[in-house]
Amino acid sequence: MSLYVNANIEKEQKLSQYKGVLVFGEQKDGKILTVTYELLTRGRKLADELGCELSCVLLGEEIDGLEEVVKRGADKVFFIKDAILKNFLPRPYSKAITKLCEELKPEVIVAAATTTGRTVMPLVAAMLETGLTADCTELTIDPDTRLLLQTRPAIGGNIMATIKTPDHRPQMATVRPKSAKPAAFNAARTGEVIVKEFDGATFFTPEKFLEYIKDTTQEVSIEEADIIVAGGKGMKNADGFKMVEELARILGAGVGATRDAVEFGWTTYPHQIGLSGKTVAPKLYFAFGLSGKIQHLAGMQTSEVVVAVNKDPEAQIFKVADFGIVGDVFEVVPMMIEAFKNLKANA
Amino acid sequence: MQFNKVTDNVVAELRALLGDANVLLDEEKIEMYAKDEVSDKLWEKMPEVVVKPANAQQVSEVVKLANRELIPITPRGAGSGLAAGAVPLQGGIVLSLEKMGQILDVDTENLFMVCEPGVTTGDVQKTAKEHGLLYAGDPCSADSSFIGGNVATNAGGNKAVKYGVTSRHIYGLEIVMPDGEIVTFGGKNVKDVTGYDIVHLMVGSEGTLGIVTKVWLKLMPLPKYVADLLIPFADMQTAIKVVPKIMTAGIIPTCLEFMDSLSIKSAEMYLNKKLPYGDAGAYIICEVDGTSETQVQDDYETIGKLALENGALEVFVADNMSTQERIWKARKCYAEAIRMISPVYCMEDIVVPVSNIPKAIEAIERIAAKYECKIPSAGHAGDGNIHCTIMREDRDDHAWHELKHAVLDELYEAVYDLGGNLSGEHGIGAKRAQAMDKHMTDAQRKVLVTIKKALDPNGIMNPGKVLVG
Amino acid sequence: MNIVVLVKQVPGTDNVKMDPVTGVMIRSGKDTIINPLDENALAEAIRIKNSQENVKVTAVSMGPDSAMKAIKEAIAMGADGGVLISGRAFAGSDTIATGKAIAAAIRKVGDVDLILCGERATDGETGQTGAMIAYYLGIPVETYVSAVEVKENGVIVKRTVEGGFERVEIPFPVMATVNKDINEPGFPTLKGKLKAKETVVPVYGPVELGLDPAELGLKGSPTRVVKVFSPKLSRDTIMKKADGTTGPVEEMMKFLAGKEAI
Repeated sequence: MSLYVNANIEKEQKLSQYKGVLVFGEQKDGKILTVTYELLTRGRKLADELGCELSCVLLGEEIDGLEEVVKRGADKVFFIKDAILKNFLPRPYSKAITKLCEELKPEVIVAAATTTGRTVMPLVAAMLETGLTADCTELTIDPDTRLLLQTRPAIGGNIMATIKTPDHRPQMATVRPKSAKPAAFNAARTGEVIVKEFDGATFFTPEKFLEYIKDTTQEVSIEEADIIVAGGKGMKNADGFKMVEELARILGAGVGATRDAVEFGWTTYPHQIGLSGKTVAPKLYFAFGLSGKIQHLAGMQTSEVVVAVNKDPEAQIFKVADFGIVGDVFEVVPMMIEAFKNLKANA
Repeated sequence: MQFNKVTDNVVAELRALLGDANVLLDEEKIEMYAKDEVSDKLWEKMPEVVVKPANAQQVSEVVKLANRELIPITPRGAGSGLAAGAVPLQGGIVLSLEKMGQILDVDTENLFMVCEPGVTTGDVQKTAKEHGLLYAGDPCSADSSFIGGNVATNAGGNKAVKYGVTSRHIYGLEIVMPDGEIVTFGGKNVKDVTGYDIVHLMVGSEGTLGIVTKVWLKLMPLPKYVADLLIPFADMQTAIKVVPKIMTAGIIPTCLEFMDSLSIKSAEMYLNKKLPYGDAGAYIICEVDGTSETQVQDDYETIGKLALENGALEVFVADNMSTQERIWKARKCYAEAIRMISPVYCMEDIVVPVSNIPKAIEAIERIAAKYECKIPSAGHAGDGNIHCTIMREDRDDHAWHELKHAVLDELYEAVYDLGGNLSGEHGIGAKRAQAMDKHMTDAQRKVLVTIKKALDPNGIMNPGKVLVG
Repeated sequence: MNIVVLVKQVPGTDNVKMDPVTGVMIRSGKDTIINPLDENALAEAIRIKNSQENVKVTAVSMGPDSAMKAIKEAIAMGADGGVLISGRAFAGSDTIATGKAIAAAIRKVGDVDLILCGERATDGETGQTGAMIAYYLGIPVETYVSAVEVKENGVIVKRTVEGGFERVEIPFPVMATVNKDINEPGFPTLKGKLKAKETVVPVYGPVELGLDPAELGLKGSPTRVVKVFSPKLSRDTIMKKADGTTGPVEEMMKFLAGKEAI
């Protein structure tokens, strides 16, 4: 019995060494990416609930505007600096972050579920022997236990699961990009920018970054688009899906699609929105002939205004819609196309 | 037959019967009721009015009215037909069954489902499956077609080789007769020889003898194991010669389908995907099912080996959802793939005795070569049912009509020489009525005309379909 | 060259239902498939095997006895053999515990140059296991790979990332997780099916893999599921019913104008 109590005390002592929230910021070509500021929103909220510091780590060769990270909510910014960190490579990135975590001992680490975050965090979690929950839609602190409650869609997205990491630290999670607003700039905020340089062994890797090729096949990148017109299985065939594309063209909008529509070959994978595709948060989102499986909703539900057309009044998409029309897309969408054409002609 | 026009008084009466929302007159709204899936403008005709009754009683009232006023009435399901059967050739009333889409009962003890005609075949299949049962009717258009339309055309489909066409799964019908009487024949009795077999007279009558308002469907145990074989061949003749061999190997496949090289290429284009052996001369797709895993394995091994011994390039096996879905996507997109390449086309539905399929394919290839046109073929090899499609491509109206007539005349002659017939599953509709009339004997015609006149003396029920005007 | 492909058996439908009382997933054992992205990984391995001499492809899966089906399917598609990791000790493993077990099995296969698997599985969708296995094997990982070019002593991979692609060169041994752009998945052949029936696939438990049961299953998993619930989504939706007139669309236009969305 006493052994058990001792073990528990030991565990608690071990866990209590960990303090603070750390977010993993991202840069490209030395410019800090917006997703970093979204993470600051998430991280600031958690740090305030825990009553602790918020740190942000960025890796690179040279990075502009590190002060801005402070102005947007971080108490400390760690810039791990090395030539090899110019472009993302899994091994040196994960080793450097792990090393920082061993020094810093943060209670919580949050990264973005970008291709970078989703690659580096599992490596860090394995090195630190702790748990990681991917693609969280919600992060909160349990006031009683101070544990991070990580909520994510599970089992094909039909349900949500809340997950915790009770006996390991740090508690790690990735969150979908665009699932939070970027933290606001506050010129009065103060904090520290700390440049970290580690020894060469930390960064040793057999990987060699060759090049980055911009994908020019997408004219309007849907992640950047202010308006997105998306279609699903209800568009029936490639011809039907053309209505989606036509309205997008009229509006200068991006074309979005569900996994079904992409699998039928009506459009290509870069247009796929949802858990297995992209996350978007445009000002206006049109959802046509798609029922709103949670996988799709996970990729678009933070859109500002959502308009949905579906013939099934029970379709889940209506639950995230601001304006819903129950009806046949083949009847309603052509009317919308007309209406927007007129609007444009009269403008 | 002289019919009357739909007058304002008739419209008012229809509105009183069905409510304003269910009586459509606007050109914009009734446009879609002017055609079915036949892509040719020739087979389009605007209705004067479209009505959407909600129950058998309302159907009956509309039919009584039409019969009294001598207005032609064209019943319509999902409009996915391929013979212009739901096109209101004489104008008049189109009676759409789209509002009657309820599944009324799933009887798992007696293995029956009772539903209204406007339920999609896909929903029937899905509902049966949720109860661990099979509805074996499976036209390629199942996702969109209505069960009522399946009954009207006696639809066939992929699984007809083993399970038979729609008529095999219909045990009872509630019908509104051309005089407006509501009458039920058959029901949940598996055996029933009480009187004439009106159920099977009505199945396949294409809405010319009455309007089906309720259907008793047969369900069966869902086969636990299903396997599909995708078998590419270097050329069509080698492929198609295997078909009679498979059919006589002591196994009844659930499906035995084929696609020629043009169909395969079209499917690749439509799906925007490479298919395995996409440059093959032909595919055979064969499905076996059963309640024992080893039995299903033995069956597909036997068929696969037979194919390899007879010139197959490879035999691919799909025995789970994902691989099966990939195979069937290619086969089921046939019609839409063709449409993408040639928006106007003429899809035929000829049927010949299974042993004559190689000769029928030869004839199609010969005719295509002679008239320098594309006629891709695909279809249900296991029951001798070939969908060959004459493609218009960029021909002008005149050239297209010339081509179509010449090809069809020659094709039908060839089919009859091979002991075949005009339509295996799409039906006669308006599209093939002339051709059927030409190939019918006087004695045959007399039987058909006598039945039609006895049940529909005023000839208001879907005039111009099956029998010429 | 030795390639290991990881194949996970997943439910064949995305309409998996939950028992409303117990919160346990209801899935019939019959409707299972290989995780679709793992099929792409397998197709890539087979492509490499067919493009050069002396390539051996081994399929590795972890799961209940029925996961043998996934391995047999992989062999029928062209893999040379397989290994199944199975046993009660593995039940409830999260990604860390799974990563350790699979890494141990790959070590047992020995001398592996390239490991391929899907970037994520359709059931869990965590996309973590690949990287964790690589860590436990002490080898680098490349994720979101949409093309693999085999060189003499390694590979050049194309990674699909935000807004474009990256090309990274890396010597063997390496783990690559693939996305669907890499290829069209293949089909098993009849010959493959017959071969799969004959092939004896070893089943490894914790003992064979030299793993401490404390590292496995629920015990070896840092994460715990606290609760599961149905997602609640709601906005104050204005609902209109299409009635054949342009009325609803006009109201939508007014609504959007009011919101300054257009």
